[in-house]
Amino acid sequence: MGPVVTIFSIVCAVIAWLRSRDRAGDPRSWRHRVKAMGWGLLLLPIAWIVMWLFGVNPATVGLLLLSGAVLIMAPVVAADLATVMLILLGLYGLAAAFAVFKHARQTARVVMAVPVRAARGARIFVPKGAVVSGAGKVTAAPHPARITSPPTAVAVPRPPKSTSFQQIHPPKTVSLHQVFAPAFSTGIRPGPWYAALTGTGPQGYVPVLLAAFLFLAFGLWLVPRTLGARGALIGRLSSRVQRLSETRTDAVDTAAAELRRVERDLHDGAQARLVALGMSLRAAERMFDTSPKAALALVGEAREMSSRALTELRDLVRGIHPPVLADRGLGDAVRALALETPVNTTLDIDLPGRLAEPVESAAYFAVAEVLANAAKHAQARTVEIHMRHTGDVLRIAVTDDGIGGADPAKGSGLRGVERRLGTFDGILAVNSPPGGPTIVVIEVPCALLSLKTSSC
Amino acid sequence: MRVVVAEDLFLLRDGLVRLLEAHGFEITEAVGTGPDLLRALLTHRPDVAIVDVRLPPSFTDEGLQAALAARRRVPGLPVLVLSQYVEQLYARELLADQAGGVGYLLKDRVFNDDQFVEALRAVAGGGTVMDPEVVSKLLVRRAREEPVTRLSPREREVLALMAEGRSNSAIAQRLFVTEKAVSKHSTSIFAKLDLAPSDDDNRRVLAVLAYLNA
Repeated sequence: MGPVVTIFSIVCAVIAWLRSRDRAGDPRSWRHRVKAMGWGLLLLPIAWIVMWLFGVNPATVGLLLLSGAVLIMAPVVAADLATVMLILLGLYGLAAAFAVFKHARQTARVVMAVPVRAARGARIFVPKGAVVSGAGKVTAAPHPARITSPPTAVAVPRPPKSTSFQQIHPPKTVSLHQVFAPAFSTGIRPGPWYAALTGTGPQGYVPVLLAAFLFLAFGLWLVPRTLGARGALIGRLSSRVQRLSETRTDAVDTAAAELRRVERDLHDGAQARLVALGMSLRAAERMFDTSPKAALALVGEAREMSSRALTELRDLVRGIHPPVLADRGLGDAVRALALETPVNTTLDIDLPGRLAEPVESAAYFAVAEVLANAAKHAQARTVEIHMRHTGDVLRIAVTDDGIGGADPAKGSGLRGVERRLGTFDGILAVNSPPGGPTIVVIEVPCALLSLKTSSC
Repeated sequence: MRVVVAEDLFLLRDGLVRLLEAHGFEITEAVGTGPDLLRALLTHRPDVAIVDVRLPPSFTDEGLQAALAARRRVPGLPVLVLSQYVEQLYARELLADQAGGVGYLLKDRVFNDDQFVEALRAVAGGGTVMDPEVVSKLLVRRAREEPVTRLSPREREVLALMAEGRSNSAIAQRLFVTEKAVSKHSTSIFAKLDLAPSDDDNRRVLAVLAYLNA
């Protein structure tokens, strides 16, 4: 049985090795393959040690089969399985050690060696529950038993009154050969579940206990690294998925609302003006011959209208994507913004390059909203803007000396900013006690796209 | 008067060229990209250049950058910058060298060709012309502050027109008053804002803009 199991496990490892390819189907590097197999391979030595400790029985053979299968199917799951297995084995070992200890003590308490001087083949009476030790073999129990080779002693649970006894000693030590022998042995050991451990004498529980502790310790050490890590990962992933679906809904809603606003503005503004413009021009055309003066006035009106249409389009575009932002990026766009607010602004901007356009835009409108709030609601007189990009995080702090009391939950403006930033995993923190000052901090994780190349 | 025109949209460029030719300007070169503009400005040294802020290849503020670069090499090279938008920031950058010969107007100002040509001639003559929108934004920003609040409404009107780069006679015409009245207002404004009075039109404009931009 042992060789079959060993060969099977080696075959499993080889198949796992061959199967370990990355998602694109390319064969992985050595390191990747070993890593992929690592945890699965751990199951094999466990199975061997189990076979040594508990004999080659159906449970251990099943463990080997399972470990092989897991190794082939999913090395990642094997890590969890190995952890659980180690803990279960540890508990099993503890129980076994306890059983062996109890057995040994019970035996030791009563075990007195009965010197047997019977010849080979002689029949002796062996008391019920007695343990034959030494090289002695007893073919059939209970009584009378035939002695196939002369035992040194027969231990009995309760000493017969008339017999003289002698202490059995000493416990055998475990040899390396014994450790690996079961893996290659063909026999299946009989006896109780801890039978394989009893042969080592009264102190036979010691290596079992040590192994059990080792298994338990290793298993518990692995828990946070395998099961715990997976649990934490699943927790993180599910909260991430939830956040992503929330922010995606927000982003889609915001984009749709924005498009609706643009459509409405165009419809009511520039489009309507162009219609009126066309009508004025047509009227002027008709009047051209009859009353050139009135026609001239109409043409002048038309020109005025086209001017107004342009103004409206300009304002609309400014609300969608400000030209300075497109031209120069966030730093200068905020500088331009500061120039146009009625509040005195102090700027401390250090952006060594451009950011991704959507991030720039979101950050710009966030600052614009905060500045507008400072001027409109907080009645601030001075505002300080600090803007830095460090360690792939854009950090903007806007401080004003206004009356405070800003609350993102109340106004729709800051809430909208928060939503828009959320799409980029950005955050908006508002600290605004009544009476001021208001400090708004915006943080957006983002990479710098390019270093500045322009001369300014 | 020799003019270099930089505008990437063919229709607009063509329109500008025709308008300028109709007013007796000589078009030295009409270009469509930033690098071409810089080259044209430095080789032709025109009397005035009309520059669109946004130009290819990058479609950012390439025209403005080229104009600023040319002015760094040829100080005071007259440039009238046209744009779909006026930005305080760009106005500031254009005015920074205090050399005059700068204009910054919205593209729709071309509709009124007389005023546009007048502005162009003013820039060519070393004057400073700012779009009313720039000036009104500057005034809005300063409106709540101390010295500006002391100005009378009429004085504020005069201040705005001065900042746009108009001469006393132009202001007088616009406000339907005499030139004398305008110069009285202007003296009063300079006194209230604590600025050194100057007879030179351009220096006066620069002083007012510098004050508003501060």
